[in-house]
Amino acid sequence: MEPGEIASTILREFPYALYGSILVAVACSYLGVYIVARRVVFFGAVLTQVSVLGLAATFLPFFAVPHTVGSLAFTLICVVILSQLFTGKKIPRDAVLGFVFVLSVAARILVMQKAPKVEAAEIENLLRGDILFVTPDLFWLMAGAFAVTALPNILFYKEFSFITFDAETARTQGYSARTWDIAFYLLAGVIIAFATHMVGDLFVFGFLVIPPVAALLVAKRVRTIFIISVLIGVLCPPVGLYLAFLWDFPSSPSIVGVAVVFAGIAYLLRLVRKQ
Amino acid sequence: MIITFKKARLGYGRKVVLNDISFTIEAGDYFGIVGPNGAGKTTMLRAILGSLKPLGGTVETESPSGGPLRIGYVPQRDTIDDVLPYTVDEVVVMGRFRRLGLLRHPSHADRDAVSRSLTHVKVENLHAHTFKDLSGGQKQRVLIARALASEPEALILDEPTNGMDLPSRLAILDLIEDLHEEGGLTVIMVSHLLEDVANYVRHLAIVEREFFQVGPVEDVLTGPNLSRLYNMPVTVERVHDRTIILAGEGHGTR
Repeated sequence: MEPGEIASTILREFPYALYGSILVAVACSYLGVYIVARRVVFFGAVLTQVSVLGLAATFLPFFAVPHTVGSLAFTLICVVILSQLFTGKKIPRDAVLGFVFVLSVAARILVMQKAPKVEAAEIENLLRGDILFVTPDLFWLMAGAFAVTALPNILFYKEFSFITFDAETARTQGYSARTWDIAFYLLAGVIIAFATHMVGDLFVFGFLVIPPVAALLVAKRVRTIFIISVLIGVLCPPVGLYLAFLWDFPSSPSIVGVAVVFAGIAYLLRLVRKQ
Repeated sequence: MIITFKKARLGYGRKVVLNDISFTIEAGDYFGIVGPNGAGKTTMLRAILGSLKPLGGTVETESPSGGPLRIGYVPQRDTIDDVLPYTVDEVVVMGRFRRLGLLRHPSHADRDAVSRSLTHVKVENLHAHTFKDLSGGQKQRVLIARALASEPEALILDEPTNGMDLPSRLAILDLIEDLHEEGGLTVIMVSHLLEDVANYVRHLAIVEREFFQVGPVEDVLTGPNLSRLYNMPVTVERVHDRTIILAGEGHGTR
């Protein structure tokens, strides 16, 4: 196919794949700045796996709820449980996360084993997050969910920034760091649950980490980090989808691959600047 | 008085760290809290800051003008996670957030308060610099400026000179003393560096589970008290109007 033909095919045949992946990439790239700044990257990885488990569980006969509901329910319950477990000092936070991660992956495999065989291919597609089959309904559902979660993130930017930078002093100023933390993780949980349903765990986790890291490498101001990270989120899906069509690659890994290239460029820019 | 401990029992869950603690801190005082690592300094600090409820007794804080005491808190520098490159201005304006409340953004008045605070601690030229790129001493000044921006009635500093070289350490201690002397600010300083508190504070609390002493610094900071506290011979001497602490007998003398 010619380059122009590829672009027109994507826009004509898979418009919601493009819009949906941009939407998810932007949301995750923004959220990821806080995830990286709070040093809870592993938390993001765990939530994506729990979200996938929630999706898989909806294929069990006794938990036949809409996929998004399953994913959201599992993720939010996980956030609440983790926020309780994090307060203990006996077991390190990383160990708690590792425990939940392994549990989620193992449970997903067991659930898949017991799900009706006829749905195996559909389950596989859903868990992998097949971007090309994003439906308009799913896209608008996602857009609504992101709008709802973006609002508190924007309104309470200064509070989230303060807690992220210096939780101890924020507490002395009357902020309940624990309440704000839970609020942040619940908002993150909603985004991750919806996004994982739509585009899969690789895409979500990739965009929670790679664009923020790339932005941290080159930006000198906090606002610039958010802007660059989101910009990478906007640019990667169209480029990645185009390359996936051009070289006949799967779409999600191609888009994540483009994000990695951006991170590489950011790293080189940083090296040049240092010299 | 602005802070009153009455038969306070402090600890976490069933673990009691400090028991039967009673003392007061007066408005305008310069108060030091010293003790070995793990003795309960941070526990006492948390009780003052209100983030730890006493297991028994009471810990009361009250503004000299009535109402809740406005505290400006300066944490240990290493508790701050500076992954994100906040500017000095952005860090100091955080001191205004409590006054602002939710959903409101800093106004010109808040920006002016930030500017005044930076001038007060003599780092106004650094306002556009990135906090994470500053030296230890500069960071400490910025954190003090942030505490001042909240217009506090009491300034509480947790190990403010930790990890600093000698000139930076003395400069910070002089700055804190200036804030106390010129502004009449109540200052509470937690430190494990005895000489830092010995030559600056007016009143002192020695914190240890089985050995709690409080009073004027010259009464509390004595050889016998410190020897018991650290379980080794310690003497306190005056040299050129300064207090020096000599620890051990034959240790480090070659």
